[in-house]
Amino acid sequence: MKLAFVVQRYGLDIAGGAEYHCRLVAEHMARHAEVCVLTTCASDYLTWANHYPEGRELLNGIPVHRFKVKRPRDPGAFADWTDRAFRASHDPADELRWLEEQGPFAPRLVRHIERHRDDHDLFVFFSYRYYPTWHGLRAVRDKALLVPTCEEDGVYRLSIFPPFFKLPRAIVYNSVEERALIETVSGNQDVPGDVVGVGSALPDRLDAQGFRERSGLTGPYALYVGRIDENKGCRQLFDFFRRYRGETGSKLALALIGKPVIEIPKDAGIVHLGFLSDEEKWNALAASDLLIMPSRLESLSMVTLEAWWAERPVLVNGRCEVLRGQTRRANAGLYYTSYDEFREALALLEADPALRLQLGRNGRLYFDKHYTWDIVEQKYLGLIATATQRVRVSQPSPSQPDPASVS
Amino acid sequence: MSFEIKSGDVDVDAIMRMIRKRIEEKKQGLYTDEEIREIAEHRLDAVLDAHEFNSDFIADLRSQEGRWNYHFGPETIYRSSRGGVGGLLEGVRRLLRPLQKLVWNPNPMIAALSRQSDLNTYYVHLLHNLAVEITKLNLEVQDLKNRNLQLQGRLEFQARREKTLEEMVVYRDDAVAKPGSGGGGAAGNDPA
Repeated sequence: MKLAFVVQRYGLDIAGGAEYHCRLVAEHMARHAEVCVLTTCASDYLTWANHYPEGRELLNGIPVHRFKVKRPRDPGAFADWTDRAFRASHDPADELRWLEEQGPFAPRLVRHIERHRDDHDLFVFFSYRYYPTWHGLRAVRDKALLVPTCEEDGVYRLSIFPPFFKLPRAIVYNSVEERALIETVSGNQDVPGDVVGVGSALPDRLDAQGFRERSGLTGPYALYVGRIDENKGCRQLFDFFRRYRGETGSKLALALIGKPVIEIPKDAGIVHLGFLSDEEKWNALAASDLLIMPSRLESLSMVTLEAWWAERPVLVNGRCEVLRGQTRRANAGLYYTSYDEFREALALLEADPALRLQLGRNGRLYFDKHYTWDIVEQKYLGLIATATQRVRVSQPSPSQPDPASVS
Repeated sequence: MSFEIKSGDVDVDAIMRMIRKRIEEKKQGLYTDEEIREIAEHRLDAVLDAHEFNSDFIADLRSQEGRWNYHFGPETIYRSSRGGVGGLLEGVRRLLRPLQKLVWNPNPMIAALSRQSDLNTYYVHLLHNLAVEITKLNLEVQDLKNRNLQLQGRLEFQARREKTLEEMVVYRDDAVAKPGSGGGGAAGNDPA
């Protein structure tokens, strides 16, 4: 079995997001199949500027074939086309132009997929919204598996996407909510799919005490891990957390791990730990009282799952259906949709170690039941078997015209 | 009010219901934080509007005084509203005025009614100022109630914290008694 993973960026230094998700899955599926990765030379998701050398290299034992991005993203043009594509009245051709402007615009990667379709038994495409996935999957739809990583950002409602979700042979969803969202918008219930998600690179041991000594965080703290960005809900988190400390007199600190995109308030209760190694991130999780995940747009929060593996409860943004749904199913954290709920939930978690312990244990049980690599790999293998056996009409039906035909 | 969660019986949905109930109880009969802030940021005129007072109350009354007040001068009681015939009638009344003054003296009545008209204008002004002051006081009361609620919450929080700190001692004892328990990573055995 030969599998080709197609993703917009790929590298050992790319943390988080669909790219990291893809790398973990590719590396684990290499135990069951001959795996290669087809990607671009880009490293920065905002510019897609060529960073890695073009050609082939081996990363963690996986052959990676990189193709140059023909032109980096022009932020002005992208903003203009975004404005046009998301306006109520627009032409479907505008959406295709938006897709091109969003990038990474790598037509050689797409041509390579077309020409080498017979070299692989199945192509696994990550992230539905990017140029290589949209065009690449259409070229090999009869041997394509899609991992959409779809968020509630409204992009999936553009007219080019609902028909697209009917093209692959099978779909790997990250959550029940993502599946419901895609099925509702596209009516693709007849495409086989499963809610799989992803496992994690788990540590051999946790050193909570050592981390406390190294970081100087001796008191209780809530942890945030990820890009420190307004889009991730961090500004609201800072506001809520400072109000919480002011109103309750709590001594709980908020520790942040990740690259700051927005300014972090100068506050005695907020500590930025910078960008830490995976090992130190796990130690920070183990030493924390809880994890806070304030993002409103998530298709799967890997760090939430990791907190559960470390038996830590989570406090998540309840306006994100995926996070709320997972937290309720796991019975392993609380959620908030307003400051009042944030204050009450955090006060409860801070004051009740027994509750934290129980929620954390529930999280670990949930992780062990759904997100160990054995389970994730078996689900992938099941979908791959379904996809390769399934007899499908490769042309779209007349009632579902190919969206590209409008360009 | 505070609530307790039994550790062996955690149900996230039930906890969230309790949290919402608690928030509702705290908010009962009060403005939300957002509403209080919004009101405080508004000019007082807008607040009066919100309470169905006309913020241009005094200006309206002054500009259209004839609609609600009256002018009363020495000639008012001899005037007529009957057009041309009325002018003739006013002339006759003026001629008979000395005769009328033999029967009664209208001057005290004219002075009293004239003074009353001025007083009416002052009362309107006073009422307006009172309404403004009452509105300010009402907002202050709301603010004090809210502060009281915050302090109450803080007190409850401290009480819960105190209770859990006491309980933590028990957990640590348990952990020492059962060093291998927890079933997870090393972190799972550290309740703090």
